[in-house]
This record gives sequence, structure tokens and C-alpha cells, in this order.
Amino acid sequence: MAGRRAGLHTLVGAYVLDAMSQPDRAAFEQHLHGCEPCREEVRGLRETSARLSTAVAVAPRPELRQQTLQATARLRQLPPEVGGEAAGPPARSWLSRMGMPGWLTGTGRNSWLVRLAAAGAAVVIAAAVLIGVNVRSMQTRISALQQRDSAITAILSAPDEATVTADIKTGGKATVMMSHHAGALVFFAKGLISLPDTKGYELWLLGPAGKRSVGMLPPVRGDMTGPMLVRNLQPGDHLGVTVEPAGGSGQPTSAPIVMLSLDA
Amino acid sequence: MDIPGPQPSGSWQHQRSEPDTLEYLLTEVAKGNQGAFGAVYDQVAPAVLGTVLRVIRDPAQSEEVMQEVLLEVWRTAARFDPRAGTAVAWIMTVAHRRAIDRIRSQQRASERELRAATASIAYDEVSDAVEASLERERVRRCLAGLTDLQRESVTLAYYGGYTYREVAELLGVAVGTVKTRMRDGLIRLRDCLGVE
Repeated sequence: MAGRRAGLHTLVGAYVLDAMSQPDRAAFEQHLHGCEPCREEVRGLRETSARLSTAVAVAPRPELRQQTLQATARLRQLPPEVGGEAAGPPARSWLSRMGMPGWLTGTGRNSWLVRLAAAGAAVVIAAAVLIGVNVRSMQTRISALQQRDSAITAILSAPDEATVTADIKTGGKATVMMSHHAGALVFFAKGLISLPDTKGYELWLLGPAGKRSVGMLPPVRGDMTGPMLVRNLQPGDHLGVTVEPAGGSGQPTSAPIVMLSLDA
Repeated sequence: MDIPGPQPSGSWQHQRSEPDTLEYLLTEVAKGNQGAFGAVYDQVAPAVLGTVLRVIRDPAQSEEVMQEVLLEVWRTAARFDPRAGTAVAWIMTVAHRRAIDRIRSQQRASERELRAATASIAYDEVSDAVEASLERERVRRCLAGLTDLQRESVTLAYYGGYTYREVAELLGVAVGTVKTRMRDGLIRLRDCLGVE
């Protein structure tokens, strides 16, 4: 592929305009990571695209202001980041300081996936804010999601991170990103068919250490399902997915629709 | 009107830590200052909503996303790093990305358009502020200075929410051409607007 680098660099415009599919974005962010001039160009072009935003301003309905301001009382703010990461390149720090790691995506190669994980937290926040009920349990869920997100980030940035994908028999593709060092993996699926309410997809670790359920996938909404964090990997484990009753089963009751080998 | 003293022309993005700049307000928001958050809302909510509305079309969803974006600003204000760009670029990047995520997660565009077509909330352009209409005019003029292909590539992507591959398909030109036009279109726009 001649001129691959040059080809990537011209994507700066598409990147700033968010005109990329997620895999393209991930590839470009990997390129950005090692390209200081690109990050500088991204910075300038973002200032430019922001002007495209200010040029189309419309007046929100007045009641939205009060509603939004009131919602802040129910939403805990993130503390500033202290020490440590200050040495990161500017484009990265700008974006990764968002707290929800990669929510906005910085330059991490898997940040689009992390963003997906973080979307869980965002949805909960939006729900808490807009419904305004049961704030304490929402806070608990948010912090659980944030813990999960940082665990996912740790796997995706592990030096031994490895990715395997496999076709799902009933349609779609399963992907596992794992770190043997961390003994954990992130699972997600694209294009899963949605199941009736009475059924669900259950994830299993299968190997010399026995069959262990690692939980149900959330119901299929949109193209992407997951990500799901799976810990406590044992040597020789495979990851399998079966269709089970919605509440889950103690043992797989049907043939796996996909099986992934987790060998290094 | 209060004129805060001489300002170097075209350098609005460098006015940091002045009392009512977004950058200063964000440092206050980070400390939990609700009044400052109200001022941030007033400054950016119209542009956030306008952007999101362009992309999503459906007013109810757009309002929801606008509120999410503002609350995200509240939540993460302490993480804003002025060395890496202006506050307005930061917030608009959040807003646009979030609008894009919303439409891409809704697989079927037809569904979206149907909802938009039946929606009944009407918005006015923000016309009360003189700067707002000046800004609109300036951007319009600079957009007009692009080639047709540059302008269409940039606006279909930014306002239309299309990927560069989709834009290539829509315009019937090569993917590589669209990538290039998006970049050089933005660069020309940047130079025309005097962005540093």
C-alpha cells in the first residue's frame, strides 16, 4: 500500500469533522499518537470546526435552562487530574482529561471502544438527570460503570493486549481483546441478532478449570453489544456464547454460537 | 454596551482568564459555581443545540443531547486543559461527537428522518446578539470562498453527519478526493476565519 502514511494524514479533515467510521477513527488515532504535527493540525482545525457550530446557533427553549441548571445539583463533578499524566502530548491530554476515558476519544488506539464502555455511564447520567429520581442508586451505578471503564482501559492499553475475532454462527462478529498479564478480557459483538425477551446471550469461560458463567450480555440495541469485562481467566480457557433463558443458566443448555480460543 | 478595553483583532481565542471568558468560567464551574455554569450555558447552549439539531434533526432528541453535553461540561470542567485548545472548541467537539454517536447508534436513518419530519418544535436563529449574526455572516462568507466540492464535503460531514465514505458516495467522487477536500477545505476555512 504505497503512501499509506500520506493517506492517513489526509484523514485529519475527516477526523475533525467526525466523518469516520469507528475502525477508521481507531486507526487514525493510532497514527495521531505518534504524529505531533498532526495533533497540532487537529487542534487548529478543531478551532475551525467549532466556528461551524457557533454559526448555526439557535435559541433553546427557555425552560431547558432551568432544567439543566437544576440537574447539576444532582451530578457530582470529577476532580481535576493531579500529577502523573501531565507529560502526555497535548492532544491526548485535552481529550483524555475528560474523565470518562476516551469518551471524546483521545489518541488511544482502542479509544473508540473505551468510549463505548463509557457510553454506559453517559446513558445512566442522562437518565438520572432527565428523570431525576433515585439519585443515590444512580450514583452507585455510575461509579460501578466508571470502575468497569477503568478496568477496560487497563486491558486495552496493556502491553500484551491481543485481539481475536470470530464469526457468530447466527450472524455477526465477536471480538475479544485480552491481556493475559491482567488475566482479563473485553468482549463485544457486532451485528448480533436480537432475541425475544425471554432469551438472552450468556457468556461462558470453558476450560480445564471448568465451565463458568460470566454473565448475560445486555439486550441487543443497535449494531454493537457490550463491551463486557471478563476477569479471572485461567490457562486453557475458551470463551463461548450460548443462547439461554433470559435469566441465565447454571450450565450451557445449547451449543455455543461462537467459541474463541484465548491462547496467547 | 460595556467595552472591555482594546483587544487585538481576531484573537478572541486568546482572551484567557478574563472574567467572562469561557476559560475563566470553566475554572469557576470546576469549583462547583452554579452561577458560572449558568453563564457557560448562556454562552454555549445555543451553538450546542444548533449543531446537534443540524446533525440529529429530531428536536426532542437534540434537546436531550444538548442537555447531556452541558451536564458533561459541568461534570468534567476540572479536566479542561486550556493549553490544548479553547473552551469553545472543546465543548463543540464534545457536542458534535455526541450528536454523531447518537445518529450512528440509531442504525436506520429513515426512522430518524421520519421523527424529524413529524416534530413540531420550532427554533429561531439566535439573532439578538450582534456578534452572533456577525459570526454567522463571516462563516457563511468563508464557506462561500471554498470550492463547491470542498464546501459540500465539509458541510455534509459536519452538518449532515455523514462519513467521508458516504460523502464520496453522495457526491459521486473518489473517496480519496473527499478526504483531501475535507482537509484542504477546513484549512482554507481556518485561514479565512483567522483561526490560529
